[in-house]
Amino acid sequence: MIRLFHVYKSFGSKNPALIDISLTVPKGEFVFVTGPSGAGKTTLLKIIFCAEKPTSGHALVDGRNLMRIKDGELSSLRRRIGVVFQDFKLLPLRTVFENVALSLEVMGVPSSIIRKKVHQTLRYLGLADKEGYYPPQLSGGEQQRIAIARAIVNNPLILLADEPTGNLDYDLTMETMALLKEIHARGTTVIVATHSQELLKGTKRRIIALHKGRMV
Amino acid sequence: MKITFFRYFVRQAMRNMAENRLVHLIGLGTMVIAFLMFDAFILIFVNLNSWTQEQGRSLTMSIYLKGEPERAVIESIKKELLQYPVSITDFISKEDALKSLRKQLGEKAGLLDGLGENPLPASLEIVLSRDVSGDSLPYELKTTLERINGVDEVQYSQEWVEKFQAIMGAVRIIGLVFGGLLFLAALFIITNTVKLTIYSRKDEIEILKLVGATNRFVKIPFLVEGSIQGFLGGSVALIVLFLVYVAIMTKVDLSIGFASLDIIFLSPQFILLLLLMSSIIGFIGSTVSLGRFFRI
Repeated sequence: MIRLFHVYKSFGSKNPALIDISLTVPKGEFVFVTGPSGAGKTTLLKIIFCAEKPTSGHALVDGRNLMRIKDGELSSLRRRIGVVFQDFKLLPLRTVFENVALSLEVMGVPSSIIRKKVHQTLRYLGLADKEGYYPPQLSGGEQQRIAIARAIVNNPLILLADEPTGNLDYDLTMETMALLKEIHARGTTVIVATHSQELLKGTKRRIIALHKGRMV
Repeated sequence: MKITFFRYFVRQAMRNMAENRLVHLIGLGTMVIAFLMFDAFILIFVNLNSWTQEQGRSLTMSIYLKGEPERAVIESIKKELLQYPVSITDFISKEDALKSLRKQLGEKAGLLDGLGENPLPASLEIVLSRDVSGDSLPYELKTTLERINGVDEVQYSQEWVEKFQAIMGAVRIIGLVFGGLLFLAALFIITNTVKLTIYSRKDEIEILKLVGATNRFVKIPFLVEGSIQGFLGGSVALIVLFLVYVAIMTKVDLSIGFASLDIIFLSPQFILLLLLMSSIIGFIGSTVSLGRFFRI
């Protein structure tokens, strides 16, 4: 599903963000990416969903070479990748329903189907009664789940989550992790970036550890 | 384009305008001023153009005849004139000419009493009924008529025609340059106005791109918005211009001496053209500012 070969990424003259990263994530795997702040976790995720291009090396996602991807292919690839951002990136002037519907609207899905799918997803995440609210009216945990709803409403092949529990207390953290595992169980490839050792304790999943841009 | 997309684009454009009311109102105000300057210029230019053309249309020529003209001479002149776009306005006999001179002299008419014989020639007054700017027609006509036996001389204000042609040329060039500059100014102002609204929605654009929107999907609502805004700005500018026009025409006396200067408002075709142009400027403005934005 995801293959990186000797990927380097540098931003200007500063120390490179990623140095010689090679990894393979097969379809249906659940992987953690870990490391302290500034280790390159977010950059790695950004490369996977094409928000950044590698400075050198090769990256393949769902069979597409990210070094040579065109605008049209880029958007169709992104429709197959759901992303949950650390800061949620919800639109404050759109309702919960509209925020979640965005992922389907960009695909040109008819509005009757959008309505059905959004209701379904919100119900699944326990947000059915919140669809008319605006994100600022909701708690951090609820906003987090809206972000997850937006990422999974179009049944993506890959789900990327950048510090999905960074702003949450213990209970909500456990709830969110359980949710991600459930999404994984439905067949989605999941990659979770986190600096929290708590989250990794006792896990049997693969852990990709980064330090100063290198895999360790 | 799928109907779902089309509905989305229009709905999104309207919604953006409602959500960013203040930014839009400021933008609209700026556009109105830009369009108003342009429209006012067009109004003045169109009037100036039609006024000068009117002057060119009424070029008068005088055909002076030898002695007491015979009917045959007049007939042959009339026959010759049939081939030209002219109308004969008047035949002035020797006596008529003297009478009108007396009238002009008024109290001093007594001076004419000393003349033994009427020295004034009979003449035919003709009017060229077509735009003669940049035309050699008056000169051609003059030489043809002067070849006819019985015609003494043909006169018209050569100087006036030349001056008129020069004025027309200058008016057109100034109009083109000035109009072009105003057009560019309007485009520049509008481009920057649209950029304001785009910057106010930077986050939204980023999120749309991240959930897999194509560039076109993100851009089209802005283009629709720009066109609507251009159209609104253009309409308001025309309404303001019309009100100013009415106020001027009713409150201010524009008569200069005997001739009153008639300003005509823009024709419906021109109004439609200006509205179309306003929308197109709005569209182009959006395209230009989006281009810059998406390069970042």
